[in-house]
Amino acid sequence: MIGDAKDAKDASRGLLEARLAAAVVIGLGLLALFGATQVGAGAGYVAVGPSLMPTVIGVGLVALGALLLLRATVRPDLDLARHVAAEAALTDWPTTGLTLAALVAYALTLGPLGYVLATTWFIPVVARILGSRRPVRDLVVGVAIGIVVYVAFTQFLGVRLPAGLLDPVLP
Amino acid sequence: MEVLGSLAGGFATALQPQYLLFAAIGVSLGTLIGVLPGIGPALTVALLLPLTYSFDPIGAFIMFAGIYYGGMYGGSTTSILLNTPGESASIVTTLEGFQMAKRGRGGPALATAAIGSFVAGTISTIAITLFAPFVAGVALAFQPADYFALMVLAFVSVSALVGRSLLRGATSLFIGLFIGSIGIDVLTGQSRLTFGVTELLDGLNIVVVAVGLFAVGEALSVASRMRAERGDVLAVKGRVWMTRDDFKRSWPAWLRGTLIGFPLGALPAGGAEIPTFLSYNVEKRLSKHREEFGTGAIEGVAGPEAANNAAFSGVLVPLLTLGIPTSATAAVMLAAFQVYDLQPGPLLFTKAPELVWALIASLYIGNVMLLLLNLPLIRIWVKILEIPRPVLYAGILAFATLGVYSAANSVLDVLIMYSIGVLGFFARRLDFPVGPIVLGVILGPLLETQFRRAMSISQGDLSTFVTRPLSAAILAVAVGALLLPYLPRIIARVRGRREPVDRLVFGDDSDE
Repeated sequence: MIGDAKDAKDASRGLLEARLAAAVVIGLGLLALFGATQVGAGAGYVAVGPSLMPTVIGVGLVALGALLLLRATVRPDLDLARHVAAEAALTDWPTTGLTLAALVAYALTLGPLGYVLATTWFIPVVARILGSRRPVRDLVVGVAIGIVVYVAFTQFLGVRLPAGLLDPVLP
Repeated sequence: MEVLGSLAGGFATALQPQYLLFAAIGVSLGTLIGVLPGIGPALTVALLLPLTYSFDPIGAFIMFAGIYYGGMYGGSTTSILLNTPGESASIVTTLEGFQMAKRGRGGPALATAAIGSFVAGTISTIAITLFAPFVAGVALAFQPADYFALMVLAFVSVSALVGRSLLRGATSLFIGLFIGSIGIDVLTGQSRLTFGVTELLDGLNIVVVAVGLFAVGEALSVASRMRAERGDVLAVKGRVWMTRDDFKRSWPAWLRGTLIGFPLGALPAGGAEIPTFLSYNVEKRLSKHREEFGTGAIEGVAGPEAANNAAFSGVLVPLLTLGIPTSATAAVMLAAFQVYDLQPGPLLFTKAPELVWALIASLYIGNVMLLLLNLPLIRIWVKILEIPRPVLYAGILAFATLGVYSAANSVLDVLIMYSIGVLGFFARRLDFPVGPIVLGVILGPLLETQFRRAMSISQGDLSTFVTRPLSAAILAVAVGALLLPYLPRIIARVRGRREPVDRLVFGDDSDE
């Protein structure tokens, strides 16, 4: 009986997330419908104007979101609820959040620090977040990737990457 | 025999030393990236796309063909040794492949996958050579209404037949359509769904979407579970080469897999998932060693891997001749064509014959190189799997960022890509398929354009889609594809029975 109670609790947790997802889908649909009203008509005669597609998408998303909500409330999809509960049991939010934060910081430092330095800090930091215990090795990997990619892209492939702080020393 | 002449011309181009080098680099890079766990061919192609920007179109596409085949082959390695399929079409390979590896037969499993890919790839390329010009000829007569119907069919089959829920598949598709509609409307020049953000006027690049969904979404999923799970790589013990018996059991499976895979891939209802599951079930039914299924039967690797490769090659037929991508990988390939201002479609064969035939010739060459490079190097590719996972995923994220950043040196693109990665993370968590999102992004605007053209021709008369026999027939097939999964339930209802019958699924739990 205890197992049943736990299962029911897991399922309700999963259904809660499914309901949130349905709400987000409906919200996206309303956003599309609002966007459709903002589209200008354009000059000249066209059989089908530019606002039809956003309208169709908006109506579709609202309808699909409503159906998803139905499947998370009145006729609950228990397979899905169990799937989500299993995912939730494994999820470690701090790791996920820190990874995302490191990514955003990486994108923002690419320009000012330059590709090589940004990559040099990014690899060991993310590896540490993901559970690596060998900072020196990770740092070496970061430096190596930074330099090799920078040289290969700028010298051989003709793709520009930011030199940043190292501008005076890089080729 | 006009085709043979054109093909010979293609080979003359593709066999030039610098192009052979491009092909070799493409195959190696494709395998290298494809071998990384969780990375399938779509992401491999998207990540390596920026590398080709500095080449001439022919060189770029030859490299591409190599990346494409290399990525597919690399994907089978992770399925077999790690039990982590890079994409849904490799899920079946894990069923028998991982079992074989567990019993110390990883070598033969990888070998049958490699040779099967070669056999299927080569036969399919011959089929492309023969059929594609013919289809392109027929397609010249297609009207916008027919194109619209074809794309509706592609949409329906992708969201209805793949994945566990039609509802969630359709939702993914519509989210893709939303993303695809952002930007300036090509016909009237009006901005749509940009909400006043100027940077969005150009729309979202498919590479941004694909890399975000596949690379960042996958990496965040792995990150969230990193502390709860450990992935162990199975060593390739013993002989890599197949025994005579392995060979005898494999070759009919390769041929059957190819026969199933190519036609299904070539239909504009494509994708490679359905053929791989079909092939697995056929092999299971026909095998003399049925008792081995579930514990590592070599046919169960040989057939689906051949079907997978054949279907992927088949997908090139609608892509090249109609300009309609039917899988996530094909959608990224279409983006590559657009980078070079090439519009795949019936006119491509007459407008850029040199490029088309060089590309087809390089498919043959890529296949041979894949076999020559990969069979002896299996043990080296396997070493890549031993990279510690924290470093590996840090590297994947760095390369994903590089791929998007280097295309336009835009930090905003990178941040949008991360946001789409968060979307991909929640999609995985809530079991929404991500393939339809990518397809919606790239096919949505094409579908809309054809719809509006058809409506302009008919002067606003919607009946044009059902009065033209061809478009009416295709739309009827689309309705059929929509109803097919519910057929058992409908039949039961018609017969007056009430017991619940499960929906037919071709997704990852259709087995048994």
